[in-house]
Amino acid sequence: MTKTLEQFKLLIVVGILILIGQQVGFGINAFQSIPGMIVVLLIAQLSLIIKGALPNLKFPAFAWATMISLLLSMPFMPTANWFLSTTGQVNFLGTTTPILAFAGISVGNKLGALKKMSWKIVIIAIFVFIGTFFGSAIIAQLVLKMQGII
Amino acid sequence: MANEKSMTKVLINAFITVLFIVIISELIGINKFAVGLGTVTLLPMLYAVIFGMLVTPGILGKVIAPLKKIVNDDVIEFAGSMVMMALLPLGVKYGTLVGPNIVKIIQAGPALLLQELGNIGTIFIAMPIALALGMKREAVGATVSICREPTLGVIGERYGINSPEGTGVLGTYMMGTVFGTIFFGLLGSLSLGTGIHPYALAMASGMGSGSMMTAASSSLAAAVSPEMADTVLAYAATSNMLTGVTGLYVVIFISIPLVNKLYSILEPKIGKKGGNI
Repeated sequence: MTKTLEQFKLLIVVGILILIGQQVGFGINAFQSIPGMIVVLLIAQLSLIIKGALPNLKFPAFAWATMISLLLSMPFMPTANWFLSTTGQVNFLGTTTPILAFAGISVGNKLGALKKMSWKIVIIAIFVFIGTFFGSAIIAQLVLKMQGII
Repeated sequence: MANEKSMTKVLINAFITVLFIVIISELIGINKFAVGLGTVTLLPMLYAVIFGMLVTPGILGKVIAPLKKIVNDDVIEFAGSMVMMALLPLGVKYGTLVGPNIVKIIQAGPALLLQELGNIGTIFIAMPIALALGMKREAVGATVSICREPTLGVIGERYGINSPEGTGVLGTYMMGTVFGTIFFGLLGSLSLGTGIHPYALAMASGMGSGSMMTAASSSLAAAVSPEMADTVLAYAATSNMLTGVTGLYVVIFISIPLVNKLYSILEPKIGKKGGNI
């Protein structure tokens, strides 16, 4: 229970950052978006609880959050309309900026280790990124064409 | 972080720092400009990751002393644990994009499943280059996959994290952690210049990293027509979830055997003598 409260405190911090960010970036009124944010944060908390309850299943809390919210928003679900309009108060791109701000700060103590590595890893990593991305993109392109979706 | 009081101080420092970064990044807003064949779409998240890196003691903290007191090592460590928390509201938003499109996504199921195998593309492209640069067994770890946490775990278990393979996997992991979102934030929109359909590029964005997928798919979605944008994000999120389920098995049963096979074939041909990273 203490752990859950501790987590929810941090989620509220994230929620406030998103509300202010989307007010600045997209002109969405922060106070009017509070109900939507509460729903989003409750699902986020639920996904942490599920992950905590199923430690052997290597499914991240992030994926649980998507899973719960996708179930609630499927077209034939009675919750769909309410859920989509409420969470619609929270802007998609608005949620991304705080994540990357935290991510940027968190790598601050890794820059030293990176400097110690050879320049070769920089080149190789770029080709790893490109190979992973376009390998999938090419297969997806072929299969989507075959299926007549694109 | 010895006591409650210092923990609160860390939380407040991190909050203020991130709040400043978020406000400045959102004020700059979305910028698009043409580069060669494509368009680069710069989203606020991209500025945020760069500002985040800049305020740490290793960069601006070195020059501006008070900054070092605000963004100290405790704050950096705390920020790392906050990334996971901050990803959750985004996870919920992705669900609201996938749910309404669920029929469309099931129809695209074959493409979504098969493209998971495309992630092994890294082996064929990056391995020859690693060997040509003089890497030895490090190349096995560095090029086996995009080297997120599950791969790090598998390679660490099999070869030991202090082995050459372990050094390689750590190298790509670190590069991805530090530069992955910036790289994919640029590639997401720029990749449209290849002529590959946005839906295929969207599926490719899901590589097992929530933040890389977000960087790639959001910049892609901002560059395509609004009617396509939601489907792009929905495909990307689904693909990323699938990688979360299948990724580890692909690495164990396909990528590791394949990367070793390719190493044994290519190393005698293009490997240099005595190379090391």
